[in-house]
Amino acid sequence: MSAITLRSVVKRYGSVEVVHGIDLDVEEGEFVVLLGPSGCGKTTTLRMVAGLEDVSDGELSIAGRRVNEVAPKDRGVAMVFQNYALYPHMSVRQNMEFALRPLGLDAAEVDRRIQEAAGILGLGELLARKPAQLSGGQRQRVAMGRAMVRTPDVFLFDEPLSNLDAKLRTQVRLEIGKLHNRLGTTVLYVTHDQVEAMTLADKIVVMQNGHIEQVGTPEQVYAHPNNMFVASFIGSPSMNMIPARHEGGRLRAEGLDLAVPSRFEGKLPEGQDVVIGIRPTGLQRAEPGAADAVVARVEVTEFLGNEALLDIRVGDHELIAEIPAAGRPAPGDEVSLTFDPSVIHLFDPQTGATLSR
Amino acid sequence: MNKPSMQQAILVYALLGIALIVFLTPIYLIASSSVKPSPIMFQRPPAMLFEPTFEHYRDLFTMRPFGKFIMNSLMVALGSTAFSVFFGSIAAYAISRIKHKRMNDIAFWILSMRMFPPIAVVVPYYIIFKTAGLLDTPLALIIVYSTANIPLTVWLMKGFFDEVPRALEEAAAVDGHGLISIFWRVTLPLAAPGLAVSAVFCFIFSWNEFLFALMLTGSEAQTATVAVMSFWSSDAVQWGRIMAGSFVILIPGVVFVLTCQRWLVRGLTMGSVK
Repeated sequence: MSAITLRSVVKRYGSVEVVHGIDLDVEEGEFVVLLGPSGCGKTTTLRMVAGLEDVSDGELSIAGRRVNEVAPKDRGVAMVFQNYALYPHMSVRQNMEFALRPLGLDAAEVDRRIQEAAGILGLGELLARKPAQLSGGQRQRVAMGRAMVRTPDVFLFDEPLSNLDAKLRTQVRLEIGKLHNRLGTTVLYVTHDQVEAMTLADKIVVMQNGHIEQVGTPEQVYAHPNNMFVASFIGSPSMNMIPARHEGGRLRAEGLDLAVPSRFEGKLPEGQDVVIGIRPTGLQRAEPGAADAVVARVEVTEFLGNEALLDIRVGDHELIAEIPAAGRPAPGDEVSLTFDPSVIHLFDPQTGATLSR
Repeated sequence: MNKPSMQQAILVYALLGIALIVFLTPIYLIASSSVKPSPIMFQRPPAMLFEPTFEHYRDLFTMRPFGKFIMNSLMVALGSTAFSVFFGSIAAYAISRIKHKRMNDIAFWILSMRMFPPIAVVVPYYIIFKTAGLLDTPLALIIVYSTANIPLTVWLMKGFFDEVPRALEEAAAVDGHGLISIFWRVTLPLAAPGLAVSAVFCFIFSWNEFLFALMLTGSEAQTATVAVMSFWSSDAVQWGRIMAGSFVILIPGVVFVLTCQRWLVRGLTMGSVK
């Protein structure tokens, strides 16, 4: 049985539809990340699961039970808010107690759960403090503790790391991952940060404009994107996209002439327009004059440590290549690059859909 | 801003001093006149040094049941304050949270009650309470004062509720709390300064009110403000007793405001949401 099921779920505000009939299954114990740019409907979807927004149409079930009309308090979910939403007039302990109060537990059990959560999250010293006396990272942990003590069926996270600085974000991200491994509770997690999604998720749901573009493991959405949106949204720097045309077994664009990778042989009609997608890591330096190599001028190099990013110009297109930093060319140099045929993606320029399958 | 210079500090304190004199002089006059023997009451220049007497206070409580009038005033003021703050807060919460295109009109309609010139409704009130058998009862005044106090409370509290982050209520809802529990344990405590401000305004208005108290009460439910006036008769104005009564009337107001003052703090919601 799925922990959360969405069937043709629609959200409308007045006459404006913001979530267009999405279907999603979240399995028991799974860590599912809703990923997409702002305004894609991911937070709205999460809030519908929490019960903070009404479902306009379709069916939403939690643990096999239809919950469209069920109040948030009766859904068995716990939520960590983007801005933490700690009760400012209560101490850390009282914040957790307040979340436990509706469960009607005896005092010993309440205390046991608070101590356990405090132990796991390192809040022991902070139980008597008020939220105003805590740092951002500490508040974030209290918000998680408050969700944890309720031992819910489902954890909902709404961009929990977006208010933390970069270093803390990495650290708390690891903690959330560990916490999920330890508790095994189903998690639905919203973020616009693809690194968070890739590192934490069992399953990523990529959303855009109120539609689900792709559901898959991090490997699937990275290596086999369904369409150009997913391909360019996942991965940093994003995938290079080059409009081209299939002519006589070759993919041709200005300054570019590649053999069609063997996977696509026989699948492309002659004269078909395509968009070639290649990640920066799929461009490799080659000897001058190598077969199918493109020669390009380096505009900028960005040194990252082990790797360097080259901003290069091929015809009208600016591409980014990621190459080993050692021996990198200088701006203004000409380089020869080959496209690794095993990681070339082809998309339909009209629909954006992949031609890779 | 930089640290104020010496000149600025002197100017500020001078202005404060003038304000203090303006506000405290009447109180001083009331207090000193209330213990001044009648024969020297109007001596010019005013007698600054004299043997204080408490005869006015004694007369106040023995010639007339002034204690009872004070109790009437307290009952009416506290009753109206409690009633107004309770219902005003609930109404304000609804106005603050319910999204409806006509909500602003409703809010303005409530405020417009406050714009009525009181004198215009004295006679209708009199007839209504006479018919209902409520003339000369504290309940009549509680009702009248609440109709003036509730609109004020609604508007004050709406502002405070608007500032309580919605995310806190959503968090409480997901944490398993229902509407009443959320209002009582999350929203209302965070709007406590608003409650204090509302209570002070309601109390002072009800405590000081004269017109309705004069028209709608007789000997039984008379309030202290009206009672003081009764020392002003056609043949004599008993200034000593009026001053003594006025000074007694001052005390509960001051005590009430000081009690509420500890809640008049800002920044209660700090640290809740980033």
